[in-house]
Amino acid sequence: MTSMSASPSTHPSVHPGAGEPLLSVRDLRVTFQRQGQEPFEAVQGVSFDVRPGQTVGLVGESGCGKSVTSLAIMGLLPKHGNHVSGTVDYEGTNLLTLSDQEMRDKRGKDIAMVFQDPLSSLNPVVPIGIQVTEVLERHRGLSRKAATPVARDLLDRVGIPDPDRRLKDYPHQLSGGMRQRALIAIALACKPRLLIADEPTTALDVTIQAQILALLKELVQDTGTALVMITHDLGVIAGLCDEVNVLYGGRIVERGERHELFAQPRHPYTHGLLASIPRLDAPRGQRLQPIPGSVSDNLPWTHACAFAPRCSQPIEVCTQVMPELEEQHGRALRCHNPVEGHR
Amino acid sequence: MTETTTGRTQPTHGERTAYDGEDVLVDVRGIKVHFPIKRGVIFDKTIGHVYAVDGVDLQIRHGETYGLVGESGCGKSTLGRAILNLEPPTAGSVTFDGVDIASLKGEDLRRKRQDIQMVFQDPMGSLDPRQSVESLLLEGMKAHGLAKDSAAANARLRELLKAVGLPVTALSKYPHEFSGGQRQRIGIARALSVNPKLIVADEPVSALDVSVQAQVINLLEDVQEEFGLTYLVIAHDLAVVRHISDRIGVMYLGALVEEAAADDLYATPLHPYTRALMSAVPVPDPLIEDRREQILLTGDLPSPSNPPTGCRFHTRCPWRQETRCDTERPELRVPDVPGVDAGQRVACHWTEQIASGEITAHPVSGEVVERVEGPDDTDFMGPASISEAL
Repeated sequence: MTSMSASPSTHPSVHPGAGEPLLSVRDLRVTFQRQGQEPFEAVQGVSFDVRPGQTVGLVGESGCGKSVTSLAIMGLLPKHGNHVSGTVDYEGTNLLTLSDQEMRDKRGKDIAMVFQDPLSSLNPVVPIGIQVTEVLERHRGLSRKAATPVARDLLDRVGIPDPDRRLKDYPHQLSGGMRQRALIAIALACKPRLLIADEPTTALDVTIQAQILALLKELVQDTGTALVMITHDLGVIAGLCDEVNVLYGGRIVERGERHELFAQPRHPYTHGLLASIPRLDAPRGQRLQPIPGSVSDNLPWTHACAFAPRCSQPIEVCTQVMPELEEQHGRALRCHNPVEGHR
Repeated sequence: MTETTTGRTQPTHGERTAYDGEDVLVDVRGIKVHFPIKRGVIFDKTIGHVYAVDGVDLQIRHGETYGLVGESGCGKSTLGRAILNLEPPTAGSVTFDGVDIASLKGEDLRRKRQDIQMVFQDPMGSLDPRQSVESLLLEGMKAHGLAKDSAAANARLRELLKAVGLPVTALSKYPHEFSGGQRQRIGIARALSVNPKLIVADEPVSALDVSVQAQVINLLEDVQEEFGLTYLVIAHDLAVVRHISDRIGVMYLGALVEEAAADDLYATPLHPYTRALMSAVPVPDPLIEDRREQILLTGDLPSPSNPPTGCRFHTRCPWRQETRCDTERPELRVPDVPGVDAGQRVACHWTEQIASGEITAHPVSGEVVERVEGPDDTDFMGPASISEAL
């Protein structure tokens, strides 16, 4: 691991957030249709941009549509039983219109993904080494023999000790943190320009989480890879992301640069989330201020604000008209009665 | 401590950091829980042990909340279950309210369990899906002879539901009809139903959504005040534990490495592991995140079936010294550090030198941890309720 900090950064000139968007998601909608049941719209018109080298966070609770958004971008949702609309523009190509074959060429090469549970994302009966070289063979046309030293270097790069031996290991022989490192090595094998990480540290212990987050941060800085970080943990977002999107009930309710968003959360949901988390550095004896109710109380977005039943400051219009996402000075907000002042 | 306290002593809020030897509800002495690793086709040969809990002393006073933190596999859940005698300890004793629990058998043990209840992590897994809420709550009361008068039992049910913030209509519903937070409320109501003195809560909020966690944490605090309960809260989330606990014990590989009042532990963490753990918890504030210095631990948690010699943390410790660390196992002791409360105990040979800056941190190379085939933490899942265990 100590060798990593010494490695020179390959793209020192990349300035996060500069230039044209690398990925541009517009009005993404995902509807699940099940026989005999009402169709359920899990993602209801999500739009956001990711610029080269930028780290963008999607944060929200379970059921807010953050994972479905990432799966839709990657084209990983099953073909049957759901309907995806909108555009996902990656360097001028709408990923949603690509054929399966074209998408397979993009996935793992230009856009890579890291999932929450490394044990179920790795093939349990194939050694780690083969799983890394597989990507190199598929996308970079290397032979197995030529790919092996590259795979070894990749494992070394992500901080797996004794990589020569680990190449022959099976996933069950590695600990959770090492598996997640192996998965990151596979994702970064072809130097993708965009990495989507879906709750990459949720299954890990806190000291291991700190290692993985430090690794991700360093890799993103060194390689200039853009990162979409999907998590429910506002602490992880606070330390990692340049821009934060807060999702609720399948829609973005607030977006902002991380310092601004955390210093002055304007949506009552963001505000409420921050007030409800016990903080390690807060004075003790203070009561937490929970958000009442649960997501099952949501109203349909079509003619109301879904969050209105749980909101701390609802007004009459909240239950009658859906608020639009309004952008101003790099911040976006979907609320009729936003929170004023600093936290 | 050995004399039986018949009446409940009123908890004194505020100053209770120093351990005074009185007023102790639970007294755990040198407890060990070792699980045998067995192999063989016909004869199960024991080829080793998982040292899940390996010598823990701790005292929980009346009316306080004791928090137990540590990473997965450190033995915190096993310790909680050993205190309830759900996991018979290999060695050591647990004295609850003056009675040695390990010596109790059969009917006496069953009766004693009325005083100690448990709240589990997964409310869906710990509530029988085929039992209505009414039957779930009555089950424990019937087992302990508290539901003989049906009118009084009904009134009690209403009182319980009110205490946990559920409507009376919930009684006829089944667990699947509730959200995760509401199910956890039912789990808490069930624990309360038999008037326990101690509630052991094993990861009570970690399965819940962020916005709902605070509701359950507040509820736990409310019912503690209302019913004068003592809590043992086991969790991996340091922020949750610090918020809810009066005193905190930090566990690493089956042993306590540090114990202190919640505020002291945060203000002056002394053990290298506690320091690393504190520095690893992400804080939802970019200003703090940008500034903070993390102590990144390298490598993984060593296997509890083959723990390191000497101090168990020495393989990952940035302050490790050439002598003592790998040969001598440190005892939990009150360190001689100025300004540190007498209630703070640390298991590190070099606490004083580290605190004074005489010893500084140095980089540690990550060590490969061989995974030994053995029972995982999840394999120790026991019965869903105490009444089921009987």
